[in-house]
Amino acid sequence: MKRSISGESMQLCTVHTSAVNGILIGRLSAVNDVVEISDSIPLFHSQIGLLPSLEIALMMVEEYFSEKGLSIVGYFHANERFDDVELSNVAKNIGDHIHRYFPQASLLLLDNKKLEALSKGNDRSPVMQLYSKDSSRSWKLVGADGSSRLTTREPSANIVLLDYISSKKWEDLVDFDDHLDDISKDWLNPELFK
Amino acid sequence: MLSREDEIRLNELENQVDNGGGGTWEYLSLLRKLKLRRSDKVLTHGLSLLNDPKKRSALAAEEWTLYEQVAVAAMDCQNFDLAKDCINVLQKKFPESKRVGRLEAMLLEAKGSWAEAEKAYSSLLEDNPFDQAVHKRRVAMAKSQGNISGAIEWLNKYLDIFMADHDAWRELAEIYVSQQMYKQAAFCYEELILAQPMIPLYHLAYADVLYTLGGLENLQTAKKYYASTIDLTGGKNARALYGICLCTYAIGQLSKGRNKEDKDGSELQSLAATALERDYKYRAAGKLSILTSTLRGLKL
Repeated sequence: MKRSISGESMQLCTVHTSAVNGILIGRLSAVNDVVEISDSIPLFHSQIGLLPSLEIALMMVEEYFSEKGLSIVGYFHANERFDDVELSNVAKNIGDHIHRYFPQASLLLLDNKKLEALSKGNDRSPVMQLYSKDSSRSWKLVGADGSSRLTTREPSANIVLLDYISSKKWEDLVDFDDHLDDISKDWLNPELFK
Repeated sequence: MLSREDEIRLNELENQVDNGGGGTWEYLSLLRKLKLRRSDKVLTHGLSLLNDPKKRSALAAEEWTLYEQVAVAAMDCQNFDLAKDCINVLQKKFPESKRVGRLEAMLLEAKGSWAEAEKAYSSLLEDNPFDQAVHKRRVAMAKSQGNISGAIEWLNKYLDIFMADHDAWRELAEIYVSQQMYKQAAFCYEELILAQPMIPLYHLAYADVLYTLGGLENLQTAKKYYASTIDLTGGKNARALYGICLCTYAIGQLSKGRNKEDKDGSELQSLAATALERDYKYRAAGKLSILTSTLRGLKL
């Protein structure tokens, strides 16, 4: 989960003047009922509500990771405004779209306030909220007492995240929008976390 | 979207300035001209000019423009004290100025004093109902408060008066898209294409919106506008090339069982696919195999 969280939240810092989103990659663990998120691909920072680029991104990302035995397991969304903690219709619809092809997909919404509070506190919990589809086919926030939980595998994840933010690593992040504007830019960001 | 030359010049200057090589004023002027939002850089570099008396006097009358630019950047970076200082300097120099009044109202807005900012903007508009910048601040304020329907209403009112403001049409289109009001977004892009038919960005955005709306007729029109984008960009726009492939596939899915879609359809798709493969081969070779499998999945 370490790399995954850092990638998404950094994407937020890069283009913090608009909403951003991304796809979560991972696998369903054979052992227990755990969805392990191992990677994330940042998608877009403009015109998030449009389909064509989303469809291309989903196809290419799935194509790339299925060779490695991984799959799309979720969708990540961060709102434009700092105090906006609602799951917007756009986010829900994109979540639905992804869920149609990947029924195990869940939805993560960045908690902007928690992200900002990171530098002040010692909070080790993930800076996002988990939503999953319930039986009524709508996205419900998963509470700490719920049957699903979001945990980070690395306890120091938030510290690493803070470090990335302060060293302005986000300036080098390439998302799918950047790739479509200039295909020589790699949405896999291979050098970023070395 | 920046032109290639502008982008190159911008990166050149930015590198130069960041590394202490001078050219600060030219860089800041370029940012003003291109209306780019790089507030952290404006703040750092603008202040270095302002704090150096020699450099400041070298600017002559432009000094005041710099104070204004730094004030706005300071507000964007939440440095309200600095913004206030800059505004005070400008106030002393231009005591009755409406332009300074606008900055003061913006500071109220930046601090989140919505009601006072609203009063300030309204009074500025009473004096000059054609002050475009103030109109736009009102829209921006509505947006920051999460009042999207208010922002839409104000922006539409603004466009009733200033219907030639292309940036405003684009802003409105983007707000509509964020609210998934695609038909309304399409209307905005239609206005833009009518006004400036040679700008590929509008053709592309229009096609994307139509594709998202879906339905056979919209898909066929979307395909036409992806094609015109390719025309206007000399075949270099990856999004438009992908768009052709997506449209052809979607149209094919919808037309199954009906009369066969013209052969031109698949020919255009093949051309687009070939163009993409060639592009990836030279510029993104590592992704070529993924591209090929993806395109294979879209073939009729």
